[in-house]
Amino acid sequence: MILSRLAARPPLLAAGLFLALALPWMIYPPVALDIACWALFAAALDLLLGFTGLLSFGHAAFWGTATYVSGLIALRAGLPFPVAVAGGALAAALLSVPIGYLSVRLRGIYFAMVTLAFAQMVYFVVNQWRDVTGGENGLQGVPRELFGLDLSDSFVFYYAGLPLILAGFLAVWRVVRSPFGRVLMSIRDNPARAQALGYPVQRYKLLAFVLSAGLSGLAGGLFALGHGFASLESVYWTTSGQVVMMVVLGGIGTLWGGVIGAGLVVALNDYLVTSGFDGIGIVTGTIFVLVVLVFRRGIWGTARDLVHARTGRRPDPGQGDASDGTPARPEGVGSPV
Amino acid sequence: MKAVGRSAAVAVAVATIAGCAGGPGAGGSGDKISDGKVVLAVLNDQSAIYADLSGKSSVEAVKMAVADYQAKYGDKAVVKEIEVLSADHQNKPEVANSKAQELYDRQRADIILDVPSSAAALAVAGIAKAKKKIFMDIGAATTELEGAQCNKYTFHYGYNTYMLAHGTGDTVTKDGAENWYIVYPDYAFGQDMQKNFTAAVTGAGGTVVQSDPAPFPNDNFSTFLLKAPGLSPKPEVIGTMQAGGDLVNLVKQYNEYKLRDKGIGLAVGLMFITDIHSLGPDALAGTKFTDAWYWNATPENRAWADKFQAKVNKRPSFPNAANYSAATQYLEAVQRAGTDGADAVVKQLEGYEFEDVFAKNGTIRAQDHLLLHDVSLAQVKPASEVTEPWDYEKILKTIPADEAFQPADPACKL
Repeated sequence: MILSRLAARPPLLAAGLFLALALPWMIYPPVALDIACWALFAAALDLLLGFTGLLSFGHAAFWGTATYVSGLIALRAGLPFPVAVAGGALAAALLSVPIGYLSVRLRGIYFAMVTLAFAQMVYFVVNQWRDVTGGENGLQGVPRELFGLDLSDSFVFYYAGLPLILAGFLAVWRVVRSPFGRVLMSIRDNPARAQALGYPVQRYKLLAFVLSAGLSGLAGGLFALGHGFASLESVYWTTSGQVVMMVVLGGIGTLWGGVIGAGLVVALNDYLVTSGFDGIGIVTGTIFVLVVLVFRRGIWGTARDLVHARTGRRPDPGQGDASDGTPARPEGVGSPV
Repeated sequence: MKAVGRSAAVAVAVATIAGCAGGPGAGGSGDKISDGKVVLAVLNDQSAIYADLSGKSSVEAVKMAVADYQAKYGDKAVVKEIEVLSADHQNKPEVANSKAQELYDRQRADIILDVPSSAAALAVAGIAKAKKKIFMDIGAATTELEGAQCNKYTFHYGYNTYMLAHGTGDTVTKDGAENWYIVYPDYAFGQDMQKNFTAAVTGAGGTVVQSDPAPFPNDNFSTFLLKAPGLSPKPEVIGTMQAGGDLVNLVKQYNEYKLRDKGIGLAVGLMFITDIHSLGPDALAGTKFTDAWYWNATPENRAWADKFQAKVNKRPSFPNAANYSAATQYLEAVQRAGTDGADAVVKQLEGYEFEDVFAKNGTIRAQDHLLLHDVSLAQVKPASEVTEPWDYEKILKTIPADEAFQPADPACKL
């Protein structure tokens, strides 16, 4: 099934891979790396939001923790950058275990608020623990190297970091298409039914939460090394908000939509910064409102629906819909309890 | 690769022109000035909390500096073409970081100016060091820029936490307010200020009765303000290190409790004229603080402020004037060096002594690249004494350059 699906869409995959490789030729390399990191972050959040049905408003905690941990590993221990990034991802995953354990019991807005509260706690710890984190000066001068190779050129570093990003995407993609991923989707659509079928719902949610946090950490760690510093901004709630916005823009539950959202937000921001126009928030806000009002399924989701309507194909059930390969849920059955 | 190709093409073109003209002067600017022009980039906050006190108005100030340089040197100017760029970092360090790289690499900026708030400033300082390009920071207060994180290409221009705390703490204590109660926001800036302030007060023979950290941000300071009169010995002055919205809240409550009538003065760590403008002078009347520059202090300042007002329709804050001054001194250094090569310009700036509209008795200290200059202790006028818009400050005294700033930090190795 997976193989045939993969084989069925080589043009799309090839195009995506080509885009990933060509990105630093088209835009400024540090910005390209930003897009790549945010794209993975968005995909990791989508794993939770789109496929498990949990809206986390505290993912900055994981992304931000990873930026600091990766930064500290590279700065203090001078280890090669993949080790630093892996350390950041691990730290984020570890942190997410207690936070996830306490919050996955809640649903909807309560879950969002509790994750936000935990993220704010992390923010205050980072802000106050000045000896380690540098307070609001941040962690500065983080080096990046790989066994003596000089990676200070951001063009080179993009290609050095890209395999990590692609590995992260592969992981998300694999999770979503695994039996485990199916269970997550069934939990999203009807937790009571999943429970009745014998799945330990809380434990599945927790595992999804930890996976999502770890992958967010992977993206965050690379982001810190790409910029050469970690700052308070990365643990602040606006970071959580930004990534949610990227996912919604691209399309919830589409996985690749987050990439579009990240590219759009980062590139637009980069352009507006030097445009002399001081209403950056107004522009991104307007686009956000338009997308939410007009393209309910996000940019990717809407585009996909259009293509399917043209070709007369049934919407690909694996993306954006709960049941991969199985018939859609009949009306009225298993409505939310 | 592309860059190499382009500079080779430029070199060929320059050689051709020089060859045709046959004179030594023709190729001069092409050889000494990179890309044939000097590019000044102002990277600051144009849309978030610091937009008002610097932001776009500082871009105008830098353009004024360019115009004045061109008017002053005319045909003798080493640089014929000068470009001013600006970028909005929205007070986000990562935006500042990548924009700074882009400005140096792609836009061929020779210098980056302003960059408020410490994390962004330190991030840009790191880029300046890596790219070997000049960076003059005005907007950030952290002494780290001339401390452990200093570097050869970074200059700190205008003010810092030491100057703010020392100026106010030392002078107010010597003027008779011996017992202090300090309230500070509990984050790095506030903690730094509290440390420096306490040192200044005790150094001047005063006592800090108590200092309390307040949460940041915070909108209710009644706990701190109400306990002030009950402390023993009773403090004569409350030193607040709050800034922005927190300062506004604290001052409002201070006035509500009429603490001034109870003999407790108010001294503020960091305040910009734009804060007074938005709060109204009455809310802050009598407050003492250290100001790096005031537009109405001398006729010279006022004349410049008039020119500035004609462009942006408001009176300049000190960061505006500091941006003007920094751009001017940079261009002057390029003029003296005869090139915009960063190393040659740094050499010209180091240890340079000068006087301009912003910097009185100015010296760029060679050891740590901090600008030393006279600053003043100011007091906010009550509305009854305000005679014209933006006329908010009374200058109590001048703090000479050699006392205003800290001695060079041995941790700084350029």
